[in-house]
Amino acid sequence: MKEVMAIVRLNMMNKTKKALSDAGISSMTARDALGRGKGLVDRSLLEGAEKGYEEAIAQLGHSQRLIPKRLIFVVLPDNLVDTAVKTIIKVNRTGKSGDGKIFVTPVMDSVSVRTGEFGTAVLDEI
Amino acid sequence: MIMIKSIVRPDKVDNVLAALMEAGFPAVTKLSVVGRGKQRGIKIGEITYDEIPKELLLTVVQDQDKDYVIKTVIEAARTGVKGAYGDGKIFVSPVEEVYTISSGIREMSSGEVEEVTI
Repeated sequence: MKEVMAIVRLNMMNKTKKALSDAGISSMTARDALGRGKGLVDRSLLEGAEKGYEEAIAQLGHSQRLIPKRLIFVVLPDNLVDTAVKTIIKVNRTGKSGDGKIFVTPVMDSVSVRTGEFGTAVLDEI
Repeated sequence: MIMIKSIVRPDKVDNVLAALMEAGFPAVTKLSVVGRGKQRGIKIGEITYDEIPKELLLTVVQDQDKDYVIKTVIEAARTGVKGAYGDGKIFVSPVEEVYTISSGIREMSSGEVEEVTI
């Protein structure tokens, strides 16, 4: 069992939802998030900060605005992880920085609150 | 790779973000959350507040950077020198794979880097 956490652009959310449900993955959780990546760092500021210029260090902390994103959580059986990741990449890819990241983390167990079932029986089946 | 989830005070977030940027870890995701800790919330007079607003910061780093990032967050998020109740918690969990959507590059926890074909 794996959890796929995907950070995507706000305007890609509808497309992503549709693509995932077309791929047979219907259950998901999403929430608002703010974030920044490694793409927007200003090289000259970084170098200045390394040399110890006070102004550059001060700007590093504040110039980087946090960008609104959507964070999607999906818990999947191992065999569906690849499909989910590829679907998300295919839909969200524009090739520019800011398209997002996908993290795959292990999940110990899952329980359905309504039925009390354990394990993969709780998750989506194709 | 490792995901570091830090729960910090909302007024310390800017401090932590600046510290992480200076430490060379610019990539962060921030979520607003509410919660309570071991002290069961804050009791003021008759009223107990057990949904205290906090900010949750997600950072994914290489295994060897873990201790350094945790130290940076602790230093930036602590109130005063000794710290106080409500300064927050840090949780560490494993991440097996990281994909960058724009380039389709996959990084495995074993250190392998490859491009995914769609």
